[in-house]
Amino acid sequence: MNNKILRISIWVYLGLFFAYLLGPLVIMSATAFNSPGFPRATPWECLTFEWFGALFQDERILNGIWNSVLVGLGTVTLSVAMGLAGALMLTQISAKVRSVYYTIIIAPILIPGVVLGISTLVFWDRINRMLGLGADSFLSNGLFLTIIGQSTFIASYCMLVLVARLQRYDMVQTEAALDLGASHAQAFRKILLPFMRPAIASAGVLAFLASFENYNTTTFTFGEYPTLTIELAQKVRYGITPAISALAFIIVLLTVFGALANEANIKRKERIAEARKEGALPDVKGISLPGFLRGNPAAVLLVLLAIGTITVVGTATAYSPAQCIADVKETKRLEAEQRIQELRAKREADRAKQKAEQGEEAETQQSTPKPSNNSGFGNVFAPTTLSDDEEEGAEAPEPSNNSGFGNVFDPDALQEDDQSNSE
Amino acid sequence: MTGFLKEFFNRNGIGVGAIMLGLVLFWTIGLIVLPQLSMLDFSFRPNLPPPEIGGPKDVYTLENYKYLVFGPEGGGQDYNAVDLRVFYRTLIAAALVTIFNLILCYPISYYLGQSEGNHIRIFALMLIIPYWINEILRAFALRIIFGETGVLNTVLIGSGVFDQPFDFIRNDIALYAGLGYAYILLMIFPMYNVIESLDRNQIEAARDLGAPWWRIHWRVVIPYAKPGISSGCTMVFMLSAGALAAPQILGGPSSLWFTQLIYQQFNDNNDWPQGAAYAVVLLVTCIALVLAVMRLFKVNMGDIGK
Repeated sequence: MNNKILRISIWVYLGLFFAYLLGPLVIMSATAFNSPGFPRATPWECLTFEWFGALFQDERILNGIWNSVLVGLGTVTLSVAMGLAGALMLTQISAKVRSVYYTIIIAPILIPGVVLGISTLVFWDRINRMLGLGADSFLSNGLFLTIIGQSTFIASYCMLVLVARLQRYDMVQTEAALDLGASHAQAFRKILLPFMRPAIASAGVLAFLASFENYNTTTFTFGEYPTLTIELAQKVRYGITPAISALAFIIVLLTVFGALANEANIKRKERIAEARKEGALPDVKGISLPGFLRGNPAAVLLVLLAIGTITVVGTATAYSPAQCIADVKETKRLEAEQRIQELRAKREADRAKQKAEQGEEAETQQSTPKPSNNSGFGNVFAPTTLSDDEEEGAEAPEPSNNSGFGNVFDPDALQEDDQSNSE
Repeated sequence: MTGFLKEFFNRNGIGVGAIMLGLVLFWTIGLIVLPQLSMLDFSFRPNLPPPEIGGPKDVYTLENYKYLVFGPEGGGQDYNAVDLRVFYRTLIAAALVTIFNLILCYPISYYLGQSEGNHIRIFALMLIIPYWINEILRAFALRIIFGETGVLNTVLIGSGVFDQPFDFIRNDIALYAGLGYAYILLMIFPMYNVIESLDRNQIEAARDLGAPWWRIHWRVVIPYAKPGISSGCTMVFMLSAGALAAPQILGGPSSLWFTQLIYQQFNDNNDWPQGAAYAVVLLVTCIALVLAVMRLFKVNMGDIGK
């Protein structure tokens, strides 16, 4: 009995834990398909794919992705090289120096990213000045600084991954190659590197992902090269739209895809290894094999996910939410008109009561509804619309993204507009 | 030293050895040590326009540090109450986030470390996936949930808990949830690594001797997992105290995080030495706190990063 309670509470805990972990991502993904201009999952209005279109038309996002890729490639090259050198050095130096050396190369993981960014900026600025170079020199270039700043700590991650593999390397192999007449460079390239390849690959992926999502360091160093993360942060801070949810959804999907593919691959290799042990000769190119999916849940999920994606993309091209959006708009318009009628009736009554104060009274009446989009139709009464003729209020400015009562009325969106205007 | 170099080049060859040594020196000296020293040096200098740097006015001064404690000169206050309060609040909140994460993550680390089966791998995958989503997007996701018209408020009002939307952002609940959310994996991973290597027989033995479950954890599992717990706590504390994205996106309008002050000094006030001084203060205080707590719980520095 006691055991049963324990088991139930474990599952409740696990459920809550993963709800906290995955819930936000699921809800964020859902908002990418809802038509209101402010990202939210409730109330659900219309299924729409237009935010994906808006995303792919956003020059700044696309430019940010390009910069992120550039920075990522540079960081991967530099930090894997430095991490490998650092790991090799760690296995060779004497025990006395090793602890100091290890503390130095592990420290960047613990130093706050903000501090790394600042120190990189200050240090290279000083070098730049000492060399007497101008403000537009290579050393003060955003791309260079960002790669340098990120590599400082990403190299430590790479080092940890590489050291784990290097510990299993037998130095005798290199010595044997040297005895057989290989040069040091040949021994390095033909013996050590092939052995390290899996670890180098995982360190590279890790470095790229870490670089891609870095914000704290990059925000001080990016200069003329805002990465995707920087652009996202700007957008999120100054007004949010579901286009960001759409991007997040794509990233979530890609991550899940990558993780499942990796898992399926590991499983497949394990099965092949097992089969080899049993003496059977498996078909290594097992992708065409139906048995590929057997007993490999990750692979099954992967295939299902791929089918799902293709279906959704397929329907997205054919589906148009225009009718639904128009319906929602119509309901909102009716609701709004009703509100206006009520207001007008009330005002008429007021006017009759106190002729002298009618103007002020009406003013205050009008501005009662909050400008935030608390209620489905509250925004219609936002101060901007009130300056118009009241009857026209409900059909107020058609949002350019053609999304019902889109972000025109959303205070955050107004902010963003201001932002983009001022830039 | 020369003996080491000779052996080093003998072992690795001139070419490979030189490249290796060059990379290591560039990384340790050029990227880690010198920039930190440079920042420290910079924090003791006055804020001068570029032409005057290196000139007669460029002398060492404690001005930047004084500013943090006493505020602007002639400002009429005894202390720089605003910045000091932000600093204090940041450290307290980071410590609370760390404790929250520890309590949240210890059970799952134990569960993952001590059970077997296929579902463990799926759980591990589910843990890792959110970690690869951009930090900004994770904060954004929480903002959607905690916003005034967000999912949480809709649910709470719908179920009648509140009749007014509750402002999670202004009350900093969103910020704490976001910081905790961002570093879950960094807490789980070190703990999981240690607990996984704990011999299950030890737990069995304790159980056979009649220990209740909480005493098994208190006397067997936690002492064994101490290095993992301290690594996890150190990482989460340092990263939350140094977080910038989550406070910028989820922080209330009236409350600041210390890193935001640093950011303002650099980007809005254009006072780099002042920002550098704040950064030094943050770094030194965090390291001192971590070392103090580690001494308190008798954990060695060498256990970190295992």
